[in-house]
Amino acid sequence: MDYAEALNMGIVGNLSNEQTISAYKTAVLARTLDIKIINAQRQGIIGFHVPNQGQEMIQIAIGMLSEKDDFIFNYYRDLALLLQRGVPLSLIFDQMLSNSNDLQKGRQMPDHFSFKEFNFTTVQSPVGAHLPLAVGAAYSIKYTKKKGIVIATFGDGATSTSDFHAALNLASVYNLSVLFVCENNGWAISLPSSKQTKAEIYKKGAAYNIPGKRVDGNDLISSLLGLQEALNYVRDGKGPYLVEATTYRIGPHSTSDDPKKYRSDEITDGSENDPIRRLENLMLKMGVVDPSFIQSVKAQAKEEIDKTMDERMTIPPVDPSTMFDDVYESPSWIQEEERREMNDSD
Amino acid sequence: MTQINMVQSLNKSLDQLMAEDERVIVLGEDVGRDGGVFRVTDTLLNKYGEERVIDTPLSELGIIGMAAGMAMHGLKPIAEIQFQDFIYPAFDQIVNNISKIRYRTGGRYSIPLVIRTPYGGGVRGGLYHSQSGESYFVHTAGLTVITPSNPYDAKGLLVSAYKRNDPVIFLEPKRLYRSVKAEVPDGLFEIEIGKAAKLKEGDEVSIITYGSMVPTVMNTVEKNGINADVIDLRTLLPMDIDAIIKTAKKTGRVITVHEAPRTLGVGAEISALIAERALDSLLAPIVRVAGYDIPFSYSHEDLNIPSEKRIMSAINRVLEY
Repeated sequence: MDYAEALNMGIVGNLSNEQTISAYKTAVLARTLDIKIINAQRQGIIGFHVPNQGQEMIQIAIGMLSEKDDFIFNYYRDLALLLQRGVPLSLIFDQMLSNSNDLQKGRQMPDHFSFKEFNFTTVQSPVGAHLPLAVGAAYSIKYTKKKGIVIATFGDGATSTSDFHAALNLASVYNLSVLFVCENNGWAISLPSSKQTKAEIYKKGAAYNIPGKRVDGNDLISSLLGLQEALNYVRDGKGPYLVEATTYRIGPHSTSDDPKKYRSDEITDGSENDPIRRLENLMLKMGVVDPSFIQSVKAQAKEEIDKTMDERMTIPPVDPSTMFDDVYESPSWIQEEERREMNDSD
Repeated sequence: MTQINMVQSLNKSLDQLMAEDERVIVLGEDVGRDGGVFRVTDTLLNKYGEERVIDTPLSELGIIGMAAGMAMHGLKPIAEIQFQDFIYPAFDQIVNNISKIRYRTGGRYSIPLVIRTPYGGGVRGGLYHSQSGESYFVHTAGLTVITPSNPYDAKGLLVSAYKRNDPVIFLEPKRLYRSVKAEVPDGLFEIEIGKAAKLKEGDEVSIITYGSMVPTVMNTVEKNGINADVIDLRTLLPMDIDAIIKTAKKTGRVITVHEAPRTLGVGAEISALIAERALDSLLAPIVRVAGYDIPFSYSHEDLNIPSEKRIMSAINRVLEY
C-alpha cells in the first residue's frame, strides 16, 4: 500500500512522521538485536534463539496499537513487539543470558519471556497452548470490569492445534475481547504453510462466527490499517477477531536447524522485499528521512546493543540454590530435601 | 449436625465458597443447568448465575486452559472435569502450563486453580468412567494432588485447596460419593494439605491407603480384628512422609492399598520411601495391593478393584512372613 493512499483513507491520518520514524527505529533495533543474538549463539554466549528477522513490522504495528492495560499472550518469536511495548534491552539480554538479573531466574530457554510490568504474560514452547489462557484472561477482564483487551499472537503452525480451535470457540461463545493475530511467516520449522492447511487462516474463525482479515504483515501501513479495524471491533465489545498477518521468516526456525535442508526460497536481510527495506523506501520516497539518517539509525542501534550486551554479560549467573524455589508458593519437604541433597553433593 | 454424604458436602462447600468470595468461578461440562453429572454443583447456577457457574463447551483443554488464564488474572476458578478419564486432552495444559507457570515466571505469576474430578471404578462405568490416574499427576512437580475419603475430609480439603495459591488436582472417589455419610460442620474449615489421617491405631501391620479404598480397608481390618495401623494419606503430592515412616518403624510390616494399577503407582513411591529410610525396621517385604495393570474392564470391575479378600491375603502374607 502507498503511504499517500493510506493517508487519504484517513485511518492512519494521525500517523505522524515522528511515529513512523520511531517505528522504523524499533524495527532496526529488533533486527540488529536479532543478528547480535545469533552471533552470540554461535560463539556459545547465548544458548539458543528463534530468529525474528522478517516479522518486525506486524509486531511493531501490534505494539503501536496496543494499550498499556492490554494483556499480551505472545509467542516465542516476537522480539520487535517486546521492544515496541517498551521492554528494555537490558531485561531482554538478562533473559537471553540467564544471568542473575533474569526475572525468570534462568529457568526458561532464550526467547521464552515474561514481563509482567509490560503485561507480557508468559511463553511456553508447546505451540498454541497459551491461547486458551488468553481467553481466560479476557474472561477475567470482563468479569472484573477492568480496562483493556487481550492480544494473542502465534504462528501458522499453531492454527493446527486443538488449543487454537478451543480458544476461538470459547472466545466466541463468551463474546470475549480477544484479538488473535496469526503471524503467518510461511513456515512451521520445515513445513510450509501450504502443507499446514488447505484453508486460508483468516477464514478459520468463520467456523466460530469470528470475523477475520488478512493483512500484509511486512508493511507497516497495511498492518496498522488492518489491525485498527480489528481492534475497533474488539474494543467495542463485539467479540473476538482473527487477523492473519502474512509475513516472512527470513532465518531458520531456530539456531538449531538448517533451512537449506528444506527450503530454497529466500528473502535476505536488506532485499527489496525485506519489511524494513520497504519502510525505508517509503520514508525516503515521501521525503520523511534521507539516506544519511538511515545510516545513523543503524549505527546507533548497533552501538546501543553492543554496549548493553557487554554490560549485561558482566552480571553473574543465577545462583543454583534458587533452582528449587517457585515450584510452589512454599516448597514442600520434597524440594527442601532435594535442595539439601544437591548442596551436600558438592 | 446431620449426617451428609460427599456430594452434599462438596456441594455445600462450593456454595459457601462462592457466597464468601466473588472471585470463585465454577466451570465445566454440564455443571450449570444439570448441576454436574453427579450433582456436585447442583443449584449453584440458580444462586450465582451463568457468569459464575459456566456450562462450557465440550473441551477439557479449553476448560483447564481458560481456567488457568482466569487464575493468572485474579480469579479463583474451580473447574470440573466430568470424569478423570476425560482429563487427558488437557494433560498438556496441566503438565506444561499450569504446573510450571509459577516456576517459569520466577514466581511472578501463579495459578490458584482447583481441578475437581471424579475418579475410580465401581459404578459400572467401563474403561472410560473408572480410571484412577493419580500417578500421572503425582509425577508432576508444581501440582498438588488431593483425594478425600469421606464427607468431612472432602470439605476441609476442598477449602484448603481453594486457599492454596497453586494448582490442585482434587480427585473425588465417585464410588464413595453417596455410600459414606458423616457429620460435617456447617462452617468452613480447613484440613492441612500434606497431612495424613490416622484412622486406626495398631501394632502388627501398617496399611497405607487413600481415597476410594479407605472404606474397604477399614471393613477388612474391623471384620477380621486385625491389629493394624491404618493411614489415609489424603494428600498424594506431597505425601505425609513423617506419617509413612513413623508407621513403618512402628509395625515393621507395611501394605499399601490403592485402586490405581500397581506399576509406578503411589504404592511404589511409598515402598521406595520406606526402603530408603526405614529398611532396618522392616520385618517383612512391603506388599502392594493395587488395581491390575490392565485397562478397567466393564464386566470385571469387582475383580479389578482390590477386595477385602485380596487385602486380607496381603495382611496374612506379611504377618506370616
